Amino acid sequence: MTLLTEATDVFAATESVGRCIVVFLARRLPLTCGAFGTSEKNRVCEVLRTLQAEGWLMSVRAMFDPETRTEPSAFDAGFAHAVDMVGAFEAPSLSAALVGTVRLERAGWSRQFATEWLLGQREFATVEARGEAVDRQWGFVALWEWNDAWSAATRKERHDYDAECDVAFNGDLALGMNIAGRHRLDWASSWHHIGIWEAPSLTAVDLAMRGHEAVADFKFTTSRHFIGRLRPLTEMIEADNVEA
Amino acid sequence: MSAIWIHYARPRPHWYSLGDAARTARQTEWKTVTDSSVAAGGACLGRYHIRGQQDFETVEIWRFPDAEAAFAHWAALTQADYGEFNAFANNIGLSMEGMP
Repeated sequence: MTLLTEATDVFAATESVGRCIVVFLARRLPLTCGAFGTSEKNRVCEVLRTLQAEGWLMSVRAMFDPETRTEPSAFDAGFAHAVDMVGAFEAPSLSAALVGTVRLERAGWSRQFATEWLLGQREFATVEARGEAVDRQWGFVALWEWNDAWSAATRKERHDYDAECDVAFNGDLALGMNIAGRHRLDWASSWHHIGIWEAPSLTAVDLAMRGHEAVADFKFTTSRHFIGRLRPLTEMIEADNVEA
Repeated sequence: MSAIWIHYARPRPHWYSLGDAARTARQTEWKTVTDSSVAAGGACLGRYHIRGQQDFETVEIWRFPDAEAAFAHWAALTQADYGEFNAFANNIGLSMEGMP
């Protein structure tokens, strides 16, 4: 696969070619009683288990440690955003990703959530934070597109910009944040990329963004950011406890 | 399973400052990409002008053998700097044929 832009000092091209992120920006629907009961929840959870058995990674955490079977998880974002839940899986291929979203929706997911699905191939490998191990219970999700100014810039201007942004990305790592690499979304979205950070606190996220502002990261991008608290996905898929 | 691919586009500002020869050269390069995609099994179902009621200027609708073919088409276009001269929004969808 061709990279949309070149690797940098912080980010290396991935070796797991072809894998595809499956991002979900999900808003919980106001349900009538019985529309999403235990049986619907069980069907959705069964599809999640099946996808995992087919080689899907079911959380951002699993992208860093694919060999460890981690339970499906996502970020609880409703306290700060118009969506209730933001998360990401990683499928073995684009086709598997696309079919997988349909399987989940049909199993009952679409009864509980109105979802914007974003799909795209991994470009850059994950990058681990520096320093001692810390608990990371927060997620920071960034969607971005290169704007008209970036598109009109020279190759040298873009290279210099990448080097400046690497200063900020190194700052993120020093703040104890893991970065789940980069996936390209542009083939099926208006967004060009997604990056996801595992963060120890919202303070760390805010300090990180100040660092990105300081290097003028956003002069060449239009971005959309989400924050959320890590939770098991099966907790956020809530049956209404009344069978239809 | 075949996929539909919907592509919205409009020229970026610096496209308008290119001379005719430079524009034609770019368009010829992108036409080569689309010809290759058709040869590989893709089909352009139409290109329509939508500037009157959309943020974009045109919409193209393609059918590809699968999602990977749609990606390959787009990756070849971006490799030829298409996205640097055009703002865009893309969609992918699976055919409902054969689905219950």
